[in-house]
Amino acid sequence: MNPIEEKLWNYIDGTCSPTEQATITLLIEQDEAYRAKYQELLQLNQEFATMELDEPSMGFTYKVMETIRTENARQPLKAAINPRIIWGISIFFAISIIALLVFTIANIHVTLSAVDVKINLPAGFRLPKMGNISSSQVFKWFLVFDVVLALFLADSYLRRKKTAKQL
Amino acid sequence: MQSKLSDIELIEQTLAGNQSAYADLVKRHQRFVFTLSMRFSKSREDAEEIAQDCFVKAFRALASYNAQAKFSTWLYTIVYNTAMTFLRKKRVATESIDEEGAFIQVENHESAYDADNVENKSRSFYLNQAIEQLLPDDATIITLFYKGEQSLEEIAQTLGMETNTVKVKLFRARQRLKDKLERNLKHEVKELI
Repeated sequence: MNPIEEKLWNYIDGTCSPTEQATITLLIEQDEAYRAKYQELLQLNQEFATMELDEPSMGFTYKVMETIRTENARQPLKAAINPRIIWGISIFFAISIIALLVFTIANIHVTLSAVDVKINLPAGFRLPKMGNISSSQVFKWFLVFDVVLALFLADSYLRRKKTAKQL
Repeated sequence: MQSKLSDIELIEQTLAGNQSAYADLVKRHQRFVFTLSMRFSKSREDAEEIAQDCFVKAFRALASYNAQAKFSTWLYTIVYNTAMTFLRKKRVATESIDEEGAFIQVENHESAYDADNVENKSRSFYLNQAIEQLLPDDATIITLFYKGEQSLEEIAQTLGMETNTVKVKLFRARQRLKDKLERNLKHEVKELI
């Protein structure tokens, strides 16, 4: 490395100490060779600063955003997972389960003479008959809907997987 | 039209689920990211691929950006790492590039210029041409320093090097760039610098 050039570059960049700066300023004023080199590097420095940035294609931003959308990364993870929603769902299910348990336990009557468990359901409450459910038209349509939904979800999952592999 | 919001404000909006804020961030930084990518790939198609990959990676990791460093420094770190991975994949390791060999084509290209052509070309054309002939590391440091508004400390952070190493590398890169300019312009270099 050329020590004079190195010092001059540091001087131009402003990375030398105040003492060095004062020494170099004096040298530039007094030494003709130093001054000429300084002018040369200063001009070079200005020239380097004029370099032009390259321009990507017109649809660059669109392509980036489209890739993000394709990956189904609609939101960064921090925004996508809201802990309050998860807590809300958890609390709802916990309360429902506890309420159901309390209701069931309150209506169970166990007699010790024989193993005989009876659940006293409230008046007017009838459990549906299983045989009627499987043969009803609504149930059949419900099954068809479930199958279509499952196929649709499987298709979208495989598409996403394929796109991720291509990227 | 580009957004007048700061990078941090745009990041906050993006994290809140506003994707158009991220599109504004991309528009703001795309030229520089693309230029940095060009320093490594030397082909527009590959550079676009690298730059696109960088912005997607940055989007995924946006929640981890802690705003202690400038967003640009954080983004350029992603660009540098992505570009290095790209180079490794292409098996064009920076150190293995035969500098002299790399310029055979350039010198032939240069010989095609006649005096009139040289006069007609703009100064920035020759400068960009010389930068393209530098090794990726040299070209990156020069670009970050002159166009990225990055201090030596920030460049060191981006490249994962010591500040003093970057200082020495910058000095050498400038020397090499000057040599390339001289080589390309021959007699015209006196006019240019």
